[in-house]
Amino acid sequence: MGASRENIREHAAHLAAPPSVTPICTRLTAVVVGWVAVSLASNRAAAEVVVSPDVKAVLSSRCVECHGADAQEGDVRFDTLPELGKDATVALLNRAQEQLYFGLMPPKDADPTTPEEHAVLSSWVREGLTKANAPLIEDKLRYPDYGNAVNHDKLFSGEITDKASTPARRWLVSPQIFHERVLDVFKIEGRERDGLRHQGFYGVTNPFVLPEHSGVRDYAINALDGGHLLVMLTNAEWISQKQIRVARVKNGELAADAFENPKDKWYPKVTPAAFEAIILKPSEPTDDEIVAAIQAQFDCVLRRPADEAELLKYRALTRSAIEVGGNTEGLRQMLIAVLLESEFLYRLEFGEGPPDEHGRKKLSPREASYAISYALGDRGPDPLLVKAASDGRLTTKADYDREVRRLLADETYYRGPVDKTINHSDAVSHPRIIRFFREFFGYSNAHKVFKESTRIGFYANPGRGSSGTPGHLIREADRMVQWILDNDTDIFETLLTSDQFFVYHNIDNAKGRETIARWQELYDALKDTEWKTDPEKVMADHPEILERYQIAPLSPRQGGHANTLPRVMKHLDHTLGRGNTPFTTFPWAHGNQYRYSQIYGLPKTPGIDGRYGENDDLDYPVEQPFSLPGHKGILTHPAWLIAHSSNFFTDPIRRGRWVQEKLLAGRVPDVPITVDAKVPDDPHKTFRERVESVTGVEHEACWKCHQHMNPLGYAFELYDDFGRPRTEEALENPENLITKGNGKDKLDTYKTRPVNATGYLRGTGDDRLDGPVENAIDMIDRLAQSERVRQSIIRHAFRFFMGRNETLSDSATLIDADQAYLASGGSFQAVIVSLLTSDSFLYRQ
Amino acid sequence: MPNNSRRTFLKTAALGGSAAVLTPSLTLSPSRARASAVTADGKPPMRFIFMHKGNGVFPSVMVPPTLSQQDQEKERTKAPFEVSWDHHDLPEWMSQLDAHKDKLTILQGLSGKMCTNGHHSWQSCMGVYAATERLSSIKWATVDFELAKMFPSPLEHIELACFPAGGGNARGNINGIEKGFSARGPQQPNYAFGSPKVAIDELFKSVANHEQGRIRYELERKVLEFATNNQSRLSQDLVGLELAKVRNYAEAMEAIRARNKKLESMGDAISRNVPKLDAKYFADDLTTVDRQVAHTEILLAALIAGMTNVVTFTVDELGTNYTGLPGIEKENVNQHDVGHDKPVAQLSAGQVRETILRGHMGLIDTIVRRLESIPEGDGTMFDNTMLCYFPDNGETHHSHGIEWPFVILSGRNAKLDIAGRYIRLPFWGKEGHQTLGNWYTTILNAYGNPIKHYGDLDLGLNSLLASQTGPIDRFLMS
Repeated sequence: MGASRENIREHAAHLAAPPSVTPICTRLTAVVVGWVAVSLASNRAAAEVVVSPDVKAVLSSRCVECHGADAQEGDVRFDTLPELGKDATVALLNRAQEQLYFGLMPPKDADPTTPEEHAVLSSWVREGLTKANAPLIEDKLRYPDYGNAVNHDKLFSGEITDKASTPARRWLVSPQIFHERVLDVFKIEGRERDGLRHQGFYGVTNPFVLPEHSGVRDYAINALDGGHLLVMLTNAEWISQKQIRVARVKNGELAADAFENPKDKWYPKVTPAAFEAIILKPSEPTDDEIVAAIQAQFDCVLRRPADEAELLKYRALTRSAIEVGGNTEGLRQMLIAVLLESEFLYRLEFGEGPPDEHGRKKLSPREASYAISYALGDRGPDPLLVKAASDGRLTTKADYDREVRRLLADETYYRGPVDKTINHSDAVSHPRIIRFFREFFGYSNAHKVFKESTRIGFYANPGRGSSGTPGHLIREADRMVQWILDNDTDIFETLLTSDQFFVYHNIDNAKGRETIARWQELYDALKDTEWKTDPEKVMADHPEILERYQIAPLSPRQGGHANTLPRVMKHLDHTLGRGNTPFTTFPWAHGNQYRYSQIYGLPKTPGIDGRYGENDDLDYPVEQPFSLPGHKGILTHPAWLIAHSSNFFTDPIRRGRWVQEKLLAGRVPDVPITVDAKVPDDPHKTFRERVESVTGVEHEACWKCHQHMNPLGYAFELYDDFGRPRTEEALENPENLITKGNGKDKLDTYKTRPVNATGYLRGTGDDRLDGPVENAIDMIDRLAQSERVRQSIIRHAFRFFMGRNETLSDSATLIDADQAYLASGGSFQAVIVSLLTSDSFLYRQ
Repeated sequence: MPNNSRRTFLKTAALGGSAAVLTPSLTLSPSRARASAVTADGKPPMRFIFMHKGNGVFPSVMVPPTLSQQDQEKERTKAPFEVSWDHHDLPEWMSQLDAHKDKLTILQGLSGKMCTNGHHSWQSCMGVYAATERLSSIKWATVDFELAKMFPSPLEHIELACFPAGGGNARGNINGIEKGFSARGPQQPNYAFGSPKVAIDELFKSVANHEQGRIRYELERKVLEFATNNQSRLSQDLVGLELAKVRNYAEAMEAIRARNKKLESMGDAISRNVPKLDAKYFADDLTTVDRQVAHTEILLAALIAGMTNVVTFTVDELGTNYTGLPGIEKENVNQHDVGHDKPVAQLSAGQVRETILRGHMGLIDTIVRRLESIPEGDGTMFDNTMLCYFPDNGETHHSHGIEWPFVILSGRNAKLDIAGRYIRLPFWGKEGHQTLGNWYTTILNAYGNPIKHYGDLDLGLNSLLASQTGPIDRFLMS
């Protein structure tokens, strides 16, 4: 049964299959027979992979022994190449190229190829892929999965003296930047902007979606396509209608109270004067009026003036559209056309001026102003940055340094919700900086993992109007990150090791203290009265108390959310009366979903669904953050643990892979296409044991990759798939059922087995740290001391702020950022300043 | 299970039964109506019509009234069985489909607990995931869009809707082009036509016969041409990835222009098929029943003209207030109230439900007969058509998705072995149980998409079934 559970992620595989690159798991050798040429029929033209005598010789001597007729290690064989179709041939060559590029083949226990042999094979593979129009390894290296392809030690060795730069490029705007750009089109500011930033526009669909994997998601490698265009056509239609609405009303074309859609009554209160002039004019507009309108729309949409060539084109379009459709409709076509400019959807970074001796151009001041602003937030440059650019004060590193520091200190300009798709997401001064850590850790993916809530009773999956329990957990993780960022000291180490967590915390500490103090007063005043047996009398005897503490009158018509005396006193008696502090919101409060304290290993929250019992002894920590036992840093936060779990189980492989790739700067190849990745069912084994049974050391082919993941991931078996600390694992199989529950307050109970959370840390490059680990806590302590881990996080920060993978020529940028972190006592702001004043950021080539 | 000879007989019968029955509002000459539509292999494409409704469909009303006592007991206990329509009657409210029994399947026992259930389900019933009002809940393209990719057409896909004006999923403007119930891809809702008038204006604008329509089309054409040239020029000096960033966009614009040109080249066929609806169907305040009739005509026209091969039709949603229902024409029927058993005028809630269902059957009858009247290949258009009618939320008003009844009508070239039968599959949790995901996987596999499983899994089934992925094998033709 478990096998089918693991298939849940198979869905999208066919619908949008990404190119798969897989390792050749074993050595290449043996006899090559009968190769002449393999035809790679493509739609455009047939291509051929010709096996020359040189290639044949190398394959024969080095490859076919393990990948031929007699053996097909890793299910790879070269002797049948002539019989393969195009797709299979390309897949094989792709795998071969990756193995050769990363030096994985021949394996370490085989005789190495000579440089000449390596070159022969590499060029043969390259030629075959080129003819087949298939992506080469250099293309793939731009993608996030290949971020760690550059050798870490070399990158930080200090040996590299190449001058850094970033390719001249268009960078597709993020979903957040797109939304801000639409706000800019309407020139909305102040509170209206804050409101619309959160609620969005009725008629605008965001055409951009970022991938959901852990790790940096927004790379400058994506291109606009037909899907974006279809959405933009609809968006442009709506935006253009809204832009001119006020002028149309003024012109009598539309009644002021006429709305095609009663749910879509928002409109900008002003139509730009240049548009209005054309709409109100009874005759055709002059060229000057058309030019003014074009410039106005360029300013709204592209935030720059149109140049002469553009004016010429747009003037002709507008004139001709007006001839066909009249002033209003003709003008609107021009507005739409500008909205459809690809520039509206890209960030342009080409550099300007003469190239330096290394062929690099500096960003123009205008480009720099956008690059800096979009690095720190979702909005374009603020007025001071615009002025700095226009005054020529955005050309030197010192200029960048000044502006970056100023904007980092600005508490308001970028202020907004961290993630408006999560209910009540906190608004912070620099949401984008939190988003880096969200992406790096990947904990915000918790809301994508659906759980069978009847397994623990209190877990709410995201649903209508609610991001459910994972939404709360993600917000609490965000708070932890923000709290650590606010301190800006030893950021990486603290994120990994802090025991200071936020749980519930829906009001600040001062308000929380005040609430509890008032409840204590109320309880002390009435605890010895007859509130249990004669609440009416108590209410009659203490009217002033009831008023002071807003106790609702007793009435059969009172709903389930009223603070009636029996309800309040029962709750306070069960909490304060037992020496515990209650949570600062009553459990019956409307919309209260804070009922998941056990997920943090804390006692149950009392009063859920009106029930009180023996085990609901949550002693709510009013002062937050607070020290949470059994936890250490973000990797033990339930949001991270859920995000890196499957629907029913922990996911030691994925968790281990995360540590390997994100903290140890390592690489793990994708699952080979020949592997049907399923964990077998066995009612008598823990999940770890079941994983080990198919990927353990005795499975040599599997272990080759899994040794880099499983020993790291097993350490997190200290927590279950909901993130709860545990020492025993429930063997959730019908065969092991002890008692049947109701999925709410009575849960199924199963036989258990002790948890084994031991693991092995390998890859820090530090003998003091590598070795067996007792559990996740032990491993995290070591990881936090690792230089490699610190540098790995900086590598990811580089990718986030640059929108690309690092190359060896970025070595100095990364070393500088690392040094800035150390010199500042672990300030992430220092890392940002260092990265945004680096050659990698300033120069384009 | 029908044997080969029976299927052969059914195919023969279908060939002989293509009498043209045309409504007064659309009089076509069948021989002239079709635009040429063939796939690469020279065969006509397959067409798919998805009609879904709100407020649930009770599984109990789908049961043939002529079941033996033994089968009634199976039905009562939700045990699996199937019977041929050769020996059974359709439920009385489906009598308008009597003539199509050989093509008709009632499929019971599917579940959809992985969907959003209850009152509203957004894209759930087409995408098999828990869709909500949040666009981020749209996980992937709905099944109709997957099919549209397999049978490409100038417009790819058309969605029509009698939008909800109330409830938790209301559209502000039921006459507008609003977010629909299908999805093009992750986080990409499709847009549906609410008003027949707007739908006709938009879909048939290339052959508009009124000045305003012609002007609008001309302006759109101008802007697209301008934008295409603009972006194409921009890409002239670029190479590699940077070239792709601009070229793809320009090519997408060019593709729309090419599509428009294709539509223009189909002008004769499209012109012949523009629905010639009475004036009342163009009003903004037309009744729900008239809206359904008009949308049905548009649906047919678009298919017959070859503009699309896939149409999705939200025939109603829970929040769609019904007007114009026979017998209670003057009432504005709130389906939510009906869901809570509130009578309307002289009709009980059950009778209102039945009236609504009868209306839908009439629409389906119209679709089948019309497509049967259009010659295609060695048969008719309906030979290459599959129509699915089903609730958007499952088995009742407050559905849990534990059952999801389907009515399917499939032509003789359909690649599923299901026609002419009442099929009850094993109930939820029982061995052999099938979900919406299995059903759509079956359809996709049958027509060439090899996906292992379409849709999310039902987590509650994992401890009960050995597997819940893959197609329903016995429905696939060998």
